[in-house]
Amino acid sequence: MTGVSIDRVSFDYGGAPILDAVSLDVAKGEFFAFLGPSGSGKTTLLRLVAGFGIPTAGTIRVGDRDVTSVPPWKRNVGMVFQSYALWPHMTVAGNVAFGLEQRGMARADIAAKVRAGLDLVGLSHLADRRPAQLSGGQQQRVALARTLVIEPEVLLLDEPLSNLDAKLRVEMRQEIAALQRKLGLTTIYVTHDQEEANAVADRIAVLDGGKIQQIGAPIDLYDRPANRFVAAFLGTANMIEGSLAAGGRFAAEGFALDGVSGAAGPACLSFRPQDVSLAAGGGAGRILHREFLGGTIRYAVALGPHRIVVDTVHHREAPVFAPGSQVGVTVDPGRVVVLR
Amino acid sequence: MPRNTRRQILAAAALVPLLAAAPAFAQTLEEKLVIVTSFSRDVTGPFVEAFQKKHPGTKVEIQSRSTTAGVSFIRETRSNPPDMFWASAPDAFEVLKKGNLLQKYTPAATGIAQRVGPSPVNDPEGFYFGFAASGYGIMYNTRYMRANNLPVPKEWDDLKKPAYFGHVGISAPSRSGTTHLTVETILQGEGWNKGWATMLEIAGNFASVSDRSFGVPDAVNSGQYGVGIVIDFFGLSAKASGFPVEFVYPTITTMVPANIGIVAGSRNANAARAFVEFLLSEEGQTILLDPKIQRLPVRTAIYDKAPAGYPNPFKDTSLGSRVTFDNDASETRYELLNSLFDRMITFRLKELTEAWKAIHAATAAVERSKSAEGGRLLAEARRLATTVPVTEAQAKDPQIAGAFQEKKPDRPVAARQAEFEEQWDAFARRNYAEAKTLAERAAAAR
Amino acid sequence: MTAVLATSAPVRRASLLARWRATPFHLVCAGIVAAFLVAFLVVPVGSVVFIAFWDGQSFTLVHFADFFRTSIMIESTWNSIYVAVMTVAFATLLAVPLAYITVRFRFRGAALIQTLGVIPLVMPPFVGAVAMQLVYGRNGSINLLLMDWFGFRLPFMEGLNGVIFVEGLHYFPFILLNLSASLANIDSAMEESAQNLGASGWRLFSRIVFPLAMPGYIAGAALVFAKVFDDLATPLLLNVTNMLAPQAYLRVTSVGLADPMGYVISTILVVLSVVAVWLSMLSLRNRDFATQQRGGGGLAKRDLGRAESVAAYGFVAFALLLALSPHIGILLLSFGTIWSFSVLPDAFTLAHYSTIFRDAGGFMANTVLYCGIAALIDVVLGTMIAYIAMRTGLPGRNILDQVAMAAVAVPGLVLGIGILRTYFSVELPFGGGSLATFWLMLAIAYSVRRLPYALRSCTAALQQLHHSLEEAAENLGASKASTLTRIVVPLMAGGILAGFVTSFATAAVELSATLLLVTRDATAPLSYGIYVYMQSPAGRGPGAALGVVAVVVVAVATWLSYRVAEQDRAKRTRNGMAI
Repeated sequence: MTGVSIDRVSFDYGGAPILDAVSLDVAKGEFFAFLGPSGSGKTTLLRLVAGFGIPTAGTIRVGDRDVTSVPPWKRNVGMVFQSYALWPHMTVAGNVAFGLEQRGMARADIAAKVRAGLDLVGLSHLADRRPAQLSGGQQQRVALARTLVIEPEVLLLDEPLSNLDAKLRVEMRQEIAALQRKLGLTTIYVTHDQEEANAVADRIAVLDGGKIQQIGAPIDLYDRPANRFVAAFLGTANMIEGSLAAGGRFAAEGFALDGVSGAAGPACLSFRPQDVSLAAGGGAGRILHREFLGGTIRYAVALGPHRIVVDTVHHREAPVFAPGSQVGVTVDPGRVVVLR
Repeated sequence: MPRNTRRQILAAAALVPLLAAAPAFAQTLEEKLVIVTSFSRDVTGPFVEAFQKKHPGTKVEIQSRSTTAGVSFIRETRSNPPDMFWASAPDAFEVLKKGNLLQKYTPAATGIAQRVGPSPVNDPEGFYFGFAASGYGIMYNTRYMRANNLPVPKEWDDLKKPAYFGHVGISAPSRSGTTHLTVETILQGEGWNKGWATMLEIAGNFASVSDRSFGVPDAVNSGQYGVGIVIDFFGLSAKASGFPVEFVYPTITTMVPANIGIVAGSRNANAARAFVEFLLSEEGQTILLDPKIQRLPVRTAIYDKAPAGYPNPFKDTSLGSRVTFDNDASETRYELLNSLFDRMITFRLKELTEAWKAIHAATAAVERSKSAEGGRLLAEARRLATTVPVTEAQAKDPQIAGAFQEKKPDRPVAARQAEFEEQWDAFARRNYAEAKTLAERAAAAR
Repeated sequence: MTAVLATSAPVRRASLLARWRATPFHLVCAGIVAAFLVAFLVVPVGSVVFIAFWDGQSFTLVHFADFFRTSIMIESTWNSIYVAVMTVAFATLLAVPLAYITVRFRFRGAALIQTLGVIPLVMPPFVGAVAMQLVYGRNGSINLLLMDWFGFRLPFMEGLNGVIFVEGLHYFPFILLNLSASLANIDSAMEESAQNLGASGWRLFSRIVFPLAMPGYIAGAALVFAKVFDDLATPLLLNVTNMLAPQAYLRVTSVGLADPMGYVISTILVVLSVVAVWLSMLSLRNRDFATQQRGGGGLAKRDLGRAESVAAYGFVAFALLLALSPHIGILLLSFGTIWSFSVLPDAFTLAHYSTIFRDAGGFMANTVLYCGIAALIDVVLGTMIAYIAMRTGLPGRNILDQVAMAAVAVPGLVLGIGILRTYFSVELPFGGGSLATFWLMLAIAYSVRRLPYALRSCTAALQQLHHSLEEAAENLGASKASTLTRIVVPLMAGGILAGFVTSFATAAVELSATLLLVTRDATAPLSYGIYVYMQSPAGRGPGAALGVVAVVVVAVATWLSYRVAEQDRAKRTRNGMAI
């Protein structure tokens, strides 16, 4: 059963296309992420789901209801804003109660729900504070509670952690993920941070230029990127343009690799830094630069006209290569991805 | 007062004088009395108070409007009119009468003078009634005169003296019915050409031309300038209130009655008649002596009660009787005169006073040098600074005067006002500049 | 998984409303606003402008040709422009240092300056001019003292320079207020980064701080220009007639319909003022730095050095003394007995106050009623207009905004005449008289004239309101109307209150429209009362006392509202930082 279904949705703003025939389905109870760089259209898509704007083409369904033209206040889709958008003239409790009041709920029920909502995020003791008196993390929790108490069919989170510091960010994302699983709420999470998306989402849609580049589970996306954009956007990828012969030999200027599977023709060979090994004692590669990162050492290596990144696991016995030294470079053909 | 009758609502309503307060009479009188008036609250207040005391059952409601706005208002509210109109200008009452907007009444009061100055006190046909008289004259600030060593002026001609340079003020006749009448009186008293020459020479001494009648007594009271040309009660009431000012009537002035009339269709006619009677009664007439009012009663016996020195036009026959006011002449050139005064004086005051400053200096220089050439140049300069571009005949010509009046189908099409005004403005600037140059040459002539 | 390939869905024909990002609620608001503006601004002003193009039978341009052929009109036009420009310059000299000192330095009494700085605005201009004559006139206190001590006079109040002097003192707060707000909004990082790059002192001010505050300065300066350009009372009271507004007034009020020139001048006044305001808005396009850099917290304040202190306090004392001299003059007049050709009144008395407290209570009650209604109308309309202009795509939304702002350039005289002309013949039911002279019309005329002030405040308040606060409410189930009343209006409260107070305070001293529309003492407001009392040949004491009461009432109201606004803001912010 689908939670949210987006069918061939396009959107223009002032004549400029923002989204181009985007389609995807979010399963009920699924934690779904829209991932992309700024300007990719991910936030616009989220806002369309919430009802802030009407697609120029296509339909949006929540459950089995076509909500494409339904105004925001009739959608029952809860959104947490990047800025939290807490109303400074109301107390924490007032903020949380607002949505319930709009639904004409009885006073006593509202009070109970507000308490429950604040309990859920652990802020019952701050109910009478004003938003300005709260820390960023607390504000985030209030925004979450405010959205959750209306028991929305879908929870939308727009870059919810971007205003928090790094440590809090990790805490909050775990908290959000835990809450989501506890409540079983269909959730769409917009972020430009792949680590965040990987950490919380069941599935991710990668957007760029108003188009969906790939949809899939985080590990699938990492291991099997569908195109150069996805490969580069999720983690670090080495990409070498060349051609693949029928026998499985990939050749490019100054680089060749056998045992690559795929159809013959021009191709781009993509592989992760950890899929390369370096060997001392001379070879085709020349170390350009070295960064010690603790568990790994990252090298920039010139390979003919190409420049690749290589991570080696570091321990006391592992060799360390000096910049300028020539090294042997080995790529595991089983781990490469051929992009067209 | 002249007839500024037929200006329409807008112009009228835009005029801003304010007046206030009204009375209502008792016994079987109606409960309400609505009076439209152009008088200030200082004038209306005591009357209303006293009237209401005498007739406690009647509540007086005052509507303050300028004279012209009041006329328009009465004209526009025929269906539910106010009860009375109470104002200075006889010509406004003439308009209402001609429009059948007043009702006849014969006051029962006795002891009222028949004439004041050149005019009858009451409308001979019984549509409106004079309750007080006013004349025009010169008010001056005694402290100011002392501080500046100025002689006390008595006649209009005195104000021409170089000693008064920059010490005299007036309001524009286009803005003030009283000043208009003063200027018209001077023109009728001295003749068109001589009258304008007098006016322009006095204007050479003006410190400013105010746009409100009240601006003049105000400035004299506070000593911004020393001498003002005003209606008598401004000067008399300021003096009575303690300001260090005096007021004199020049020989050429006129006395006019201030009036009240009952509006046709009044729903409170009994109260209105009671108010007229009250105004003319001994009690009402005595109120005129109030220091803040200071108008001249028409009940002659009241003057016995007046403080010493209170002007009495019924005893002092010289007061206002020299000039017999020609209403027709005044009416034809009413708008033209206003515009001409503004063009020649109000808007070109700087140029005019500069010319006169030079003429005064040259006069003194020529007296010393006895230069014939200087005398000739000076005479020419004086001629230029005392001439207006319109002759008396032209001022009556409907082709010219008509340009300044409201366009009506039964009036001949006149040339355009704007064209005349531009001509006059050019005339004034050219003459004043030339007069200044000639005077400077006269002063230098040996 | 691979990318989803999709064929395009059929393009939706969004409803008009959806395309305009509007709901029926917005349409109703826009309809109300448009109806009000058309009925009480466009039609009345249009009816005046119309005469300028009408020769009795048909459309004509001959009156305009006359205007440009008449030398006094050309001269008046230049005089008006000269006075307006020089007044802006003079006001700038007063306002810029005051604003800078209060915003830049830790300065005792900064709040006092900000409050006292507003007070000139609440002085009825004609009262101010009377008082200025008493203090600075040819034989005013200052010149009498100069004469006594040094044997010369200074012509403060003569001719065009007198107008500039009086107007500058009266209107400089417009620049002070707008500029202070702009300066306070500058992100301190802007200044710090300039310092970091080596700028300081005058260079820092002239290259960084002032340009950043430019929008506020221009807005204030444009307002000053337009107000001075249209102002009637000051030149008239100084007997300066060779300017456009007095020429229009003299023409319209004394010569009447036979002379269309007054209406031509009025039209030209409106057009030139609108052009000035429009040009200033144009020059600000894409330059609204202050609102882009939100949450800057203002310039860093620093302590004054000893010499700087002396200079700063000296300047502030001088400027305030100058700005408040009309108030001092009017206060003396209200307590004085006879004040004639002397430095101070001859003696002092409370009689004038007892007179007005006995007689003038009705004026005060009427003022509170009319100005209250006017200010209420203004903030309601101002909020609606700001909301429609900034939150919807309704066609014509900017026209609403611009028409409402154009009222700033419509002289009260023109509006008053227009309203009389349009509504005089409309009879109220039950014999209530003419609609034009019904008391509510006065409140409406005030509201039209003051709408631009309220609208500016509301617009600024809405600009600072992050859109997501509204979206969050909608997302939680609140309709547009509900969002407006529960979220937008409460959050704009400070701006709305400021708009209310500005409208109220300035309406309380409005005279030109008042004099045209008031018909009875019983329904007259305070400004009319002051005018009437000022016309007494027995002295202006009671009028002055009433003026003092008006100033005090308005000043107290202003101060109270700032207090309320401050407390409200304090509740919502922490460490003085707005959210």
